[in-house]
Amino acid sequence: MKINCLHYMSSGTIVPRVVFVIILMLLMTKGHAQQSLAVIANEKGPPSELSFVELKSIFMGERQRWNSGNKVLIALLKTRNKIGIEVCDKVYNMKPDEMNKYWLALVFQGKASAPYFFNSTTELQDFVAENPGAIGIIDDNVTVSDIKQITIDGKKSL
Amino acid sequence: MQHVYVFEFNLSITRMRHVDTFTRLLIQVAFFTAASSESFCQNNTQIRGFVDAGTVFRDGRFAFNLGEQDLFITSDLSDRFSFLGESVFKYNIDSETRFSVSIERVVLKYNYKGNHNALLGKHHTPINYWNDTYHHGRVFFPTISRPMIFSSVLFPLHTTGISLQGLNLGKLKFGYDFMIGNGIGSTDLWDNNNNKSVTLAMHIKPRTGMRLGMSYYHDVLSKGVDPHHGQVIHHNLTEQLVTASVANFGDKLELLVESTMMLTKGDSIPMQSALFTYAYAGYKITDKIIPYIRIDNLMYPDDHETEGSILETKQNTYYLAGLRYQINYLAVVKIEYQRQYTGSNLLGNAITTQFAIGF
Repeated sequence: MKINCLHYMSSGTIVPRVVFVIILMLLMTKGHAQQSLAVIANEKGPPSELSFVELKSIFMGERQRWNSGNKVLIALLKTRNKIGIEVCDKVYNMKPDEMNKYWLALVFQGKASAPYFFNSTTELQDFVAENPGAIGIIDDNVTVSDIKQITIDGKKSL
Repeated sequence: MQHVYVFEFNLSITRMRHVDTFTRLLIQVAFFTAASSESFCQNNTQIRGFVDAGTVFRDGRFAFNLGEQDLFITSDLSDRFSFLGESVFKYNIDSETRFSVSIERVVLKYNYKGNHNALLGKHHTPINYWNDTYHHGRVFFPTISRPMIFSSVLFPLHTTGISLQGLNLGKLKFGYDFMIGNGIGSTDLWDNNNNKSVTLAMHIKPRTGMRLGMSYYHDVLSKGVDPHHGQVIHHNLTEQLVTASVANFGDKLELLVESTMMLTKGDSIPMQSALFTYAYAGYKITDKIIPYIRIDNLMYPDDHETEGSILETKQNTYYLAGLRYQINYLAVVKIEYQRQYTGSNLLGNAITTQFAIGF
């Protein structure tokens, strides 16, 4: 074992390996931070503009109905999905586990209805298009025409 | 005279006997909305469960123990109606099978406007933060067991009745609960006296993770009833509970302090007061590792007569220190050292562990 370590060190491979890992981690971090999110909603119920504070309040389950009277239906991607992870970070300011625990506890207390979780942005968009009062968050790639994109603090993307 | 409610189900649901007008209207509305909103049931009915098991080392002996199995069901019946049910399966030495099933919560909720709701059924009385938040899900408990106040026979853990509720109102996210129910000593089918229990609770949430609340509870207990845990009340008793709560579960520091003043007055007993307080503090070293402490204090007057349990003596104090490890949001392991005093006498100490999960 001792002889192998000496050979490894002297072969000059460990420094390039460490540098490569650091560069890879930086690229991953940079890539993660650049994911833009779009807030989409059904034509009936949600307004066309919201502030970020209002958006967060809605996704924390603090609002039960829109001004139109439609029930607030929250649509999210599962936290196995990288967009789902990004939503946890940007909107909830929580790690995925914390967000899941938050919602489980809230539903268990009887204080809110559970959100609808989806595996893909296509499924989420279809749900939002079909259900009055539904609001969801996906990446910038909005492919369904029967939904509207909500501006948050005047911006189309989060 | 006890009324017998008989329901004859047919398509017109008009042949209901001995049901008052309000209840009939409520049931008709419920059936109509349920029948016309099948998609809600299909899409958003959730069945979850919580279980815990653990160990205890006490009086020189070590044992494994089984906690409760908590079955929890929620469903959106329509755009405005929803249902919540919680049933607990637990060890019961008096049962032939050594286990019993308890219906802990059955709540029919109607969201009538904005963030305002009407609730009918069996609830956890919203008398303090712990009872309103944690229910029977040990995976959510910050400690292994509930505070000592829950052992009091006069603590209204459940109320079967109706309530009006408001949530997250205004900038301070004001919330309220106004509940009228059968009260302590009643069953889930019948009130043992003509007096209804009344609960009024309010809270604000000035920032994320923080909740400040107060509540008031009033009830009249009849002589001879068994309120809970097999203890019989020896006098007609008027009970008032005033509770104050401070909860702050932040990124690092967790703090929960609640204090309840119990005022009781019997037929020939002057007004007596007892004070129940507990304080919990935890610190998140990491997201997964949280050491914590809790101190419970129950103070009774010298001539307290209304309770026959071991907690009747002047002062009972309970200390615990523990460590919580969050495996993930569905699994947590806790280990605690617990020490209980009655007056200045050490009643006992123990080391306990708990593995609690949700599924």
